[in-house]
Amino acid sequence: MLSLQNISKSFGGLKATQDVSIEFGAGSLSAVIGPNGAGKTTLFNQITGRLTPDTGRVMFEERDLVGRSSLAITRAGVVRAFQVASLFPTLTVGEALSAAVTSKQRGSWQLFSYFPVNSAQRRSDEIADLLGMADKRQVLCKELSHGDQKLLDIGLALALEPKVLLLDEPTAGMGPDERWRMIEKVHALWKSQNLTIVFIEHDMDIVFKIAQTIHVLCYGALLASGTADEIRKNQKVIDAYLGSDHHSVSGAKELQS
Amino acid sequence: MNIDALLLCLSSSACATTQISTAFIIGMLLFLVASGLSLIFGVLNVTNFAHGGLYMLGAYFALSTYAVTGIFWAALVVAAVATGFVGIALERLIISRIYGADLLMQLLVCYALTLIMDDAIRFIYGSDYKMMGMPGAFALPPLAIAGGFIPAYYLFMIAASAVAGLALWFTINRTRFGKIVRALAINPSMVSVLGINTTLLYAIVFGVGSGLAGLAGGLAAPIRTLTPGMGLSFLLDSFIIIVIGGMGSIGGAFVASILVGFIKALGAIGFPLFTDGLMFAIMAVVLILRPQGLFGERSAR
Amino acid sequence: MNSNLITNVGAAALAVAVFAALPFLFPGAAMVDFIVYVAAYGLLAMSLNLLVGLTGLVAFGHAIFFASGSYTFGLLMQSGAVSIPVAVALTVIGTAALALVTGAICVRLKDVYFSFITLAFQMVFYSVVLTWVSLTGGDQGLLGGIPKPVFAGIDLNNGYSLYLFCIILFAICAIIMRQVWQSPFGYTLRLIRDNATRADFLGVDVFRMKLAVFVLSASIASVGGIILALFVSGAYPEFAFWTTSGDAIFALMLGGTKLFLGPLFGAFLLELLEHYVRAHTEYQNFVLGIVILLIVLGLKRGILDYVHDYWVRRRKVEKKPATAVKLARSPDA
Repeated sequence: MLSLQNISKSFGGLKATQDVSIEFGAGSLSAVIGPNGAGKTTLFNQITGRLTPDTGRVMFEERDLVGRSSLAITRAGVVRAFQVASLFPTLTVGEALSAAVTSKQRGSWQLFSYFPVNSAQRRSDEIADLLGMADKRQVLCKELSHGDQKLLDIGLALALEPKVLLLDEPTAGMGPDERWRMIEKVHALWKSQNLTIVFIEHDMDIVFKIAQTIHVLCYGALLASGTADEIRKNQKVIDAYLGSDHHSVSGAKELQS
Repeated sequence: MNIDALLLCLSSSACATTQISTAFIIGMLLFLVASGLSLIFGVLNVTNFAHGGLYMLGAYFALSTYAVTGIFWAALVVAAVATGFVGIALERLIISRIYGADLLMQLLVCYALTLIMDDAIRFIYGSDYKMMGMPGAFALPPLAIAGGFIPAYYLFMIAASAVAGLALWFTINRTRFGKIVRALAINPSMVSVLGINTTLLYAIVFGVGSGLAGLAGGLAAPIRTLTPGMGLSFLLDSFIIIVIGGMGSIGGAFVASILVGFIKALGAIGFPLFTDGLMFAIMAVVLILRPQGLFGERSAR
Repeated sequence: MNSNLITNVGAAALAVAVFAALPFLFPGAAMVDFIVYVAAYGLLAMSLNLLVGLTGLVAFGHAIFFASGSYTFGLLMQSGAVSIPVAVALTVIGTAALALVTGAICVRLKDVYFSFITLAFQMVFYSVVLTWVSLTGGDQGLLGGIPKPVFAGIDLNNGYSLYLFCIILFAICAIIMRQVWQSPFGYTLRLIRDNATRADFLGVDVFRMKLAVFVLSASIASVGGIILALFVSGAYPEFAFWTTSGDAIFALMLGGTKLFLGPLFGAFLLELLEHYVRAHTEYQNFVLGIVILLIVLGLKRGILDYVHDYWVRRRKVEKKPATAVKLARSPDA
């Protein structure tokens, strides 16, 4: 579905991305992990067109996305949700979703219809249901809790009917319980919508539980790719990132709860 | 439009000298007002629309002081200092409530203050025009310079404004106090954390800015007719200058002020009805090509 | 989908009927005067709110379109070449063209800079009006009055017919603005107001949208200018001075920007202030200044906005007790 081929990017002397090649299969749920500064967000930026890689290709539906504008890439179906939720403070959840859907349905220029038109309303309600926010449609964006804001941010991305959804740290800033609820929603979304989702995440428990494939970045280079079990046992990954104590840590956690 | 008259004037050195000196005094007065505005914007992030009103207060303070004491220097000092104190009072009572507010709110509050000051002056002094008259010290025959005649007072005004401007520049850029003020503009919370009383500093900065406007008013008093509306016309001019020169830049305010001074002086002869239009046209061009102004630093898009 | 059009037209028709009856209940020129002034400046303020309240574009120089409406209409009628309805149409089109050109430049700038450049354009226009004496009459305004030839059996030289014509023009513009306010276009503008970057990410053509609403609001402002020009039978440079734009901004500040009728209420208050205060004291500036300070520092928003927010908060408070009970009974705590 989405294929990164030999992506490299340097900023002056700093090699932010070093010859990264990853295949994201259609309908897959993948995680990109790595220590801070590993270049995860930079990689996302190069996929969405915010940054242009020095070399390499981003193949999507047999086309190279490199060099195309962010808007064009979004329209093509590769959509991103933001690490810090970027919403519309004075609009309600319902209005924001409906307006986003209206834009997707090319209805933004209608001057004499009543907002939201039926087709936009229907799709907006659908998305609200998917997010589990159907009862919050009258709530103003600025009054949403942090978790709901991030959820709505994903909802706005969904309004664009993406084929590939990139989530940059969807659980950032959340406490342990909220984090699980969030990732379960992401998982449910993935299952029901048949999307290809790639997410950046720091919480290892979540990653190992949910992701089909895990890609580990370190200093801009791809250290390893594989299933949760493979990564857990990968010595390079353990040395660079997880630390050999990880087994005992997760063991302790299970004991406590 | 009377471009021929303008060209005729410029070709004669007598007329040209007069016009150039007029341009400079207008420009220097504008500079004093605008530099105070710039300072206030740079440090407090407030677009002080009330600045024209403070200029007017300065003029009237000078008028009254001179009428009572007959001493011009006293009038000047009172103009600057009294207006400075009015500024501090305004800052404590009203301006401090709009720090961080959006532009429209700031504008409305400052404009309201101008309206109030206007009518307060009208109430105390009446609506008719007042003249201060040339103080005795300057009742000299005009000096013959460069083929024309320049009133002695003009030279004094230019010199006084220049001194004030230089003093401001020196304080901001070369003293420890100035450093703190500059730091305040960049990162107020940090300055506050370092134990410096930022509230007091804000009041002082606003006071100094107001004092500069008051000084300009005091300097203008002998040669301008005083009316309650004089602040309002200065208001627009000072904004054009800030935009052209760059918000927060004192050097930019200087260059732009002189430019506007020239346009006004030359325009009075050549295109009296289009003087404003030309200034605004230049402002439009600056906004389109270099929105942060000729010397400004903030990004605009 | 068209039900709101029916509602809006119905409401407007009702309002027109009420206002049509008023001169019979309160005879005398003062009431008619007041209403037409509020209508004209109300259109200026409401059209400005399409920019300020809906899109987040704070224009300081909006009255340029009001003035261009007055002058264009006046000149067209003085030429004797067109009838009143045609003159109205041509004026709106002409002002829209002016807005297209100036807007294409202004709308690219952000925030303060947008505000200032609209003012710059207006003041250049003002200077042109002042200087081009042969066309505009200079500082005297358009000399010779505005002829009102009969059209379709309607004679606007009759005071009552003129009044009716003005309020109907107002009503039509109000319906158009209301439709836009409630339309997908209107909500897309709100997206731009709240978060232009994200709107861009959602595929919204921000530049074109801003330009479109700029042109639309200019067109409506010009109708306000037409109404005033018709009523006072002239056009004056003051219409193009920055203080007229200032009045529109005051109307927004007094009445509020969040509700559709806020600016109209503000224009009404402003006219009231001016008429009433002028009758009692010559210190109108002082009064206006105090009012502004009270509203901006005290209420922190327009009066209708304040009332609306208060009402919304009351509703939330009424809902709260139920939630508190729910929490108390929840076993999770």
